[in-house]
Amino acid sequence: MSGGDVRVESVRYAYGDLEALRGVTLTIRAGETVALLGPNGAGKTTLTRLLVALLRPAVGRVTVGDWDVARKRPDEMAGRVGYVFQHADQQLFARSVREDVAFGPRQLGRAAASVVPVLDELGLMPVAAVHPYDVPPPVRKLVALAGVLVMEPAVLVLDEPTAGLDRQQRERVIGALRRRAAAGVTVLVVSHDLAFVAELVERVVVLREGRVAADRSARELLYDRGALAALELTPPVTVEIGQALRLPGAPIRTAEVAAALRGTKWRESAE
Amino acid sequence: MTAVVTLEGVTFRYPGAAREALCGVSLGVAAGEIVALAGDAGAGTSTLLLVATGFAPRLVGGTLTGTRRLAGRCGIVFSRPWTQLTGLCSTVGDEVAFGPASLGLAREPVLASAGRAMERLGITHLATRDPAHLSGGELQRVVVASVLAMEPDLLALDDPAAELDPAGADALYALLPALAVGGMAILVATPDLERAASVATRAVVLAGGRVVADGPTHLLEGTGVAAIARAAGCPPPYPPDVPSLLRRVGR
Repeated sequence: MSGGDVRVESVRYAYGDLEALRGVTLTIRAGETVALLGPNGAGKTTLTRLLVALLRPAVGRVTVGDWDVARKRPDEMAGRVGYVFQHADQQLFARSVREDVAFGPRQLGRAAASVVPVLDELGLMPVAAVHPYDVPPPVRKLVALAGVLVMEPAVLVLDEPTAGLDRQQRERVIGALRRRAAAGVTVLVVSHDLAFVAELVERVVVLREGRVAADRSARELLYDRGALAALELTPPVTVEIGQALRLPGAPIRTAEVAAALRGTKWRESAE
Repeated sequence: MTAVVTLEGVTFRYPGAAREALCGVSLGVAAGEIVALAGDAGAGTSTLLLVATGFAPRLVGGTLTGTRRLAGRCGIVFSRPWTQLTGLCSTVGDEVAFGPASLGLAREPVLASAGRAMERLGITHLATRDPAHLSGGELQRVVVASVLAMEPDLLALDDPAAELDPAGADALYALLPALAVGGMAILVATPDLERAASVATRAVVLAGGRVVADGPTHLLEGTGVAAIARAAGCPPPYPPDVPSLLRRVGR
């Protein structure tokens, strides 16, 4: 079994009287890219926290590779599963961006050789010497992501990684995650941003009221109007264009739609 | 139309900052207008909201040159709602009523404004909940309601749907035209250009602290549709939304 395989078996979790997960079973193979969707309060964040031992299931079992997460501490899990919180401020503490990103490898006694390439990959070199709290909140988000990427985990879990990011920052995040996925890293993103989901993942798991409501290929789900409507989701513009023009191959990514439209005779104006 | 807020040649620098966050910005927003502020990180959109509402330099410090005129009352919603709770109220109802109560209004109008604002945001059912125990999305609605309860003439929103799910974000943006029709001037800074373009009456694009474009909403060329059209070889102006793209390909 690879360290990047994730198994969630009949997991239940409650906050006091509020049942957040009501029996979730899910298997993610190493190297898969999966988006976890669902309305506010569906249990998405709870599920991701169970993967890194920040929460323990009341019932059921969570394994990552050959590790039973219930037997691990969060700091042990950090070597295998990289977790980026929705609010980056919760995971930044060093005096400079560079030190913050280098913290993880140093704690594990690893060389910090990959710090500069990762900073560079996310466009953070210009702020490497700046205090993390002196950079704007979206940049802090990238710093938190860098701190996780530099640990080279087998699994990446990202909670709303694109919220608040501008176009360029989004592109950088998408690029960095695509490269990790191509290298065999399991990528699980919690996101409300269907355009981002379409760019990145191959599979979508939808949670509703603590249960798995759908588990399908991203392409299939995004082109299934009825299923999206039932889940109160609006398709991304790529899919709207693909459907309206009946583009071949059910394109969901910007580059796929642009490629399908190349050669179009464009009118000068929309009038 | 009369401008609710007017900035003329405004330059602003945060305390200790090496360069200006805003540079020679001139901008007026009239009652009934919904102005989408677009710009990459560091462009100055959030700073412009702080300056327009008077939070900068009054509360954050820094130096401002140029003039700012505001006719009426203003309210601002920050992108991280938990930074905006009073910390003094143990129920959502009290939290939303805190603003109008602080304006010195009598009890009846305070409760009426708070009730209306909660209804608009669909959070009446949360009235007795403790704000500290809400989800990010619920909290964001509470903060928007607490600002609306003060019935501002200028409403400044900084990425107001950052915490909301798609249905919540759609509902929030759908609320803006109704507020504008009632005479509110609205400035909304957001990276969600698609939703902003769907309700805005005007777009202002900032880069490096300067206004680089001010006009119709098709200026929001960062939208996914415009990027796709550009990549597919469409000549400018790029279509901002799916219907205009379909018209450009003859459908």
